[in-house]
Amino acid sequence: MDFGFILINALVLACIYGTLAIGISITWSSVGLINLSYGFIFAASGYGAWLCAQYISTFGAVVLMAGILTGALMGLLVCALAFIPIHDKPSFTVRGMIATLAINLIGTQTLMWYFGPRAKSLPEIFGSWKIHLGHIVLTADKIGNIVASIVVVTLVLQWMRSSRRGLEIRAMMMNPHAAAIVGIGVRSTGFYVMAITGGLAGLAAVLLSQTYYISPFGGLTPMIKGVSIALCGGLGSVRGAAIAAVLLGLNEAITSVALGGQYVLITQFAFIILILLVRPRGIAGILDKAREA
Amino acid sequence: MTGKREILNVKGLSAGYGPMRVIHDLDFIVYSGERVGLVGLNGHGKSTLFYAIAGLTGWQRGSVCLNGVEVGRTRSQGPGRYTHLIVRQGLALIPQGDEIFHGLSVEDHLDSGAFTPRAWRERAERKKRILEIFPPLVKLMHVAVGRLSGGERRMVSIGRGLMAEASLFLVDEPSLGLAPKIGKGVMDALMSVDLGGSAMVIAEQNVALLEGRVHRIISMHVGKLKGEASAKFGFETTREL
Repeated sequence: MDFGFILINALVLACIYGTLAIGISITWSSVGLINLSYGFIFAASGYGAWLCAQYISTFGAVVLMAGILTGALMGLLVCALAFIPIHDKPSFTVRGMIATLAINLIGTQTLMWYFGPRAKSLPEIFGSWKIHLGHIVLTADKIGNIVASIVVVTLVLQWMRSSRRGLEIRAMMMNPHAAAIVGIGVRSTGFYVMAITGGLAGLAAVLLSQTYYISPFGGLTPMIKGVSIALCGGLGSVRGAAIAAVLLGLNEAITSVALGGQYVLITQFAFIILILLVRPRGIAGILDKAREA
Repeated sequence: MTGKREILNVKGLSAGYGPMRVIHDLDFIVYSGERVGLVGLNGHGKSTLFYAIAGLTGWQRGSVCLNGVEVGRTRSQGPGRYTHLIVRQGLALIPQGDEIFHGLSVEDHLDSGAFTPRAWRERAERKKRILEIFPPLVKLMHVAVGRLSGGERRMVSIGRGLMAEASLFLVDEPSLGLAPKIGKGVMDALMSVDLGGSAMVIAEQNVALLEGRVHRIISMHVGKLKGEASAKFGFETTREL
């Protein structure tokens, strides 16, 4: 087994799934929505980037931006459809979950109907150079994936830490009731949160398209992984999601080398169950004061 | 009648949660520059009255005018849906039991109180003013609020309310759960706030803490206001209730 190779692969996967998981985690803890429409947002962003590559420009940064923007737009759409009308009704958590799941199903079918079942591939947005580090080969897409996701996630977290809107979102994450009392509008914050997390999903979609193809149902597996990472890290905790992403990325890379790719989901869920048995609130459930379910 | 403007005018307000009616057809006026004490036992609707003014009860009906703008309306669900708009009209609610953001630092916390655009621009100045009222907070500015003591949390909670550019401050049981000496200190701080044209209503069970320091005391009993005593502050109260 080549440990360098495994480590790099694990890191790439961790960055992509971590980006998605952090979005899911932020959405849950701030607006109280378990958004199951990320599969759709993810696939739609991939198609957005693909359309951009087809008709506008194949320049890497432009394609990446197109993916992120499509994701943010889809996030706004989901917010308008599944959050605004029902967020103050009883048992919103369950209703929201079902509403977003419905959007996911309808959305992916629409993509299938419009674009057809054939998978599309994006151009290489990071070029095709490579670096030799000892006997490990770092290809452009791997380095690009890691750098792009870390940079964007850091920017988002920094923005959340320093801006007024960010304070709004963090306040909502800690205590939604008190947030209303100090004058934070739940609905406007919902739009910000969903746009940002949608954008993160879009980023993850474009980055993952460097390894896989874009297809209408291609978002399902990443969403399941994202949700399980967010759960494993403790819903609502960004640090927990980051740690869980690294652990599960490592698990995925080791499993696919040692046992074969088809066993990844099995070992992954066994691993998650193990973690949740030991720490029921996830890895970082105790690290920071997250909103309890 | 100089400067005696109506800040809050509540008419025929009823409110409650689900099938439970906590406030019964209540009228209540607060004038600018006034400090009003609202006394009454546990469970008689003091907090619910404040929540109803902020639109946070399960349902409500009746008129609530804040600075002449109608902010109450008949509402059967969606608690908190309009609260942020009411807060922007100039309401600062300092809730009972410190509704705080555990993981945010004291500084973030005070910032979150300054939510109107103007207050946000002036927040550095406003923070300085709060720190003059609550000096112990100076060296705690970067500590997460969840790690503070009860008295310190109360200071943060009240400080957050005072950061707002509000014309009406509703303070719910500022001394609750605090040692008598600390509770008195908190009350002293509230009394030292320069109200200017705004008004403050303090709900409190411990009448002794209010006596002689507020303009009038209103007592609340089973969801209704029962009479009113002009405290010996010498403020001319008109019995409009």
